[in-house]
Amino acid sequence: MVTGCAQSKGVATLPLVLDIICLLPMLYIIHKAMPENAAPKKVSKYHHELRDPVHIFVHFDSDERKVVNSRPLQRLRYIHQLALSYLIYPGATHRRFEHCLGVMELAGRVFDVVTSQENVTDRIRESLPQIKEPNELHYWRRVLRMAALCHDVGHLPFSHAAERELLPSGWNHERLTQEIIYSQEMQEIWMRLTPPLRTDDIVKVALGPAKAKSLKFSVWETILSEIIVGDAFGVDRIDYLLRDSHHTGVAYGKFDHHRLIDTLRILPSPDTDEPALGVEEGGLQSAEALLWARYLIYMQVYLHPVRRIYDIHLRDFLKAWLDKGRFLTNIEAHLRMTDNEVTSGLLAAARRKGSAGHDPACRIVKRGHFRKLYERNPLDVQENSEAASVIFEAAEREFGSANLRFNQYPAKGGGHDFPVLQSDNRIARSGSASTVLLNVPPITTEFIFVTPEKRDKAVAWLESNRESIIKRRGRKNG
Amino acid sequence: MDRLKKTALLTALAENLRKKGCWCGETHLQKATYFLQALEKVPVGFDFILYKHGPFSFELRDELTAMRADGLFDLNQQWPYGPTLIPTPKSKLLRQQCSKTLQKYKRQLNFVSDQLGKQNVSELEKLATALYIRIEASSKTETQRAKYLHSLKPHVSLDDSLEAVKTVDGIVKLAKSASA
Repeated sequence: MVTGCAQSKGVATLPLVLDIICLLPMLYIIHKAMPENAAPKKVSKYHHELRDPVHIFVHFDSDERKVVNSRPLQRLRYIHQLALSYLIYPGATHRRFEHCLGVMELAGRVFDVVTSQENVTDRIRESLPQIKEPNELHYWRRVLRMAALCHDVGHLPFSHAAERELLPSGWNHERLTQEIIYSQEMQEIWMRLTPPLRTDDIVKVALGPAKAKSLKFSVWETILSEIIVGDAFGVDRIDYLLRDSHHTGVAYGKFDHHRLIDTLRILPSPDTDEPALGVEEGGLQSAEALLWARYLIYMQVYLHPVRRIYDIHLRDFLKAWLDKGRFLTNIEAHLRMTDNEVTSGLLAAARRKGSAGHDPACRIVKRGHFRKLYERNPLDVQENSEAASVIFEAAEREFGSANLRFNQYPAKGGGHDFPVLQSDNRIARSGSASTVLLNVPPITTEFIFVTPEKRDKAVAWLESNRESIIKRRGRKNG
Repeated sequence: MDRLKKTALLTALAENLRKKGCWCGETHLQKATYFLQALEKVPVGFDFILYKHGPFSFELRDELTAMRADGLFDLNQQWPYGPTLIPTPKSKLLRQQCSKTLQKYKRQLNFVSDQLGKQNVSELEKLATALYIRIEASSKTETQRAKYLHSLKPHVSLDDSLEAVKTVDGIVKLAKSASA
């Protein structure tokens, strides 16, 4: 019978089942002991991420973490991104460190977009063979991100404030950056990578042709450096606009950078066919917004008159406080000097009468800064391009140079000229495709400041004499 | 050379180029100033490197922007070419102020404008790069210089590079005989 047969089979298999149950713990132990089934050991991660208020996450790998953890990068935790701007915009206490991480994050994103095979035409592949080679792309992506990380390591305490007067002739923060990238400490990192990175490549991409003049750039290297320091779409600029806007609370610096990055392309220049960084037509408005954002935040934040006079007081303090009035340019001394050391000296000098730099230190710490007397304006410039200079010279004669300071930010840069890929696949110049770009005004200011004690008298004097001073010009120059 | 004289020369150069029919964008002024400085030895004191479309000076770019801010150049749209730099009426006053300097370099300004005024951006790139190479590698033959130009600017064919090298050699000869 089928049923009886089944029952007898069930009885016969019972001891076997029991045996198996008894053996289960042993089998479990053997199973766990096999290497492939062992509980995963705590191994170190290769990919890491940090939270960031602007980009949400910044991603990096263990090789990049070696650079992040290096002394030059860690020092940037103690260099304010906007110098003493936090005395005007209290939120602006962010540091160069997070800016460099942001620049690395954005540089990687731009690289991935512009080298993505569907975004590259055959014509560009022919001109830039690196784009066809996965190993080359891997190498240059790494160079680009490392260069982005390092692009600001040469900054002096309080970033840009008066570096020309506080460094020996021929030095600036870019040269210090270059020296640090070439230093033994950093070379050891570059050499141990697989493949090792050529230091010249990192310097070129970090500084660009304008600052690394001794090095020759290929078209490909020029484009990569433009990704970081380019005037039109450089991620250095994109990050600082967004970050400074976020921390100062000044909304003007914001624009649709996601759209801009997604539409960036390497395109042939319309006149010469030379490949250059450009944008798809659909991203033109975000490119316009970037350039306007830059203009507005310069006028609102970076060129705020009180920030400018604090820069001058800080320079005056440093000239008195530093040994021989200059920062040292050897790397060890540079790495030891941060905003913390300077702030500590500043506070001490403000407390102690007669100490080096006491007066400018008090002007910063006790908010006794010089007041704005005059600011460059279109009406006066139309009459005389040198209006601010001639007023300053006359004011110096009237009130003495100790009571006055002159500050100038000359118009510079360009960068509104780039190729635009139109929807019909033609390439246009940005200047033809956008009237908005043509109308972004050059950024420039000139200020004259006077001591608070002389301010009222100086204002009255200027009101009576401004026109005659400005018109006093036209002498033959030759 | 002080800034006033330098800016007067730049507006005069732009005026001259425009008279020759040039639409005078920034690239035209960059390359013409390079010829003025490197070939005609007018001491405008800009630092040129090989960059976009050949020799390029970031200092000159900054100066042109500063001149716009000072109301010496207007930036206008020239369809379909792109922005063109137009000297303003205010720049005329500047040229009057610096008339001696302009008189001193009149021949050089005219020579450069004659040679480059009718060239388009693509031609200017080739010629200016060929001059840069001639100065940097003066001992090299025409063919060697053409190969070098092609290696620096792969989008310029070898034939076009050779033609540019020969044209520049001709311009250099002319400049020498004009200044003799």
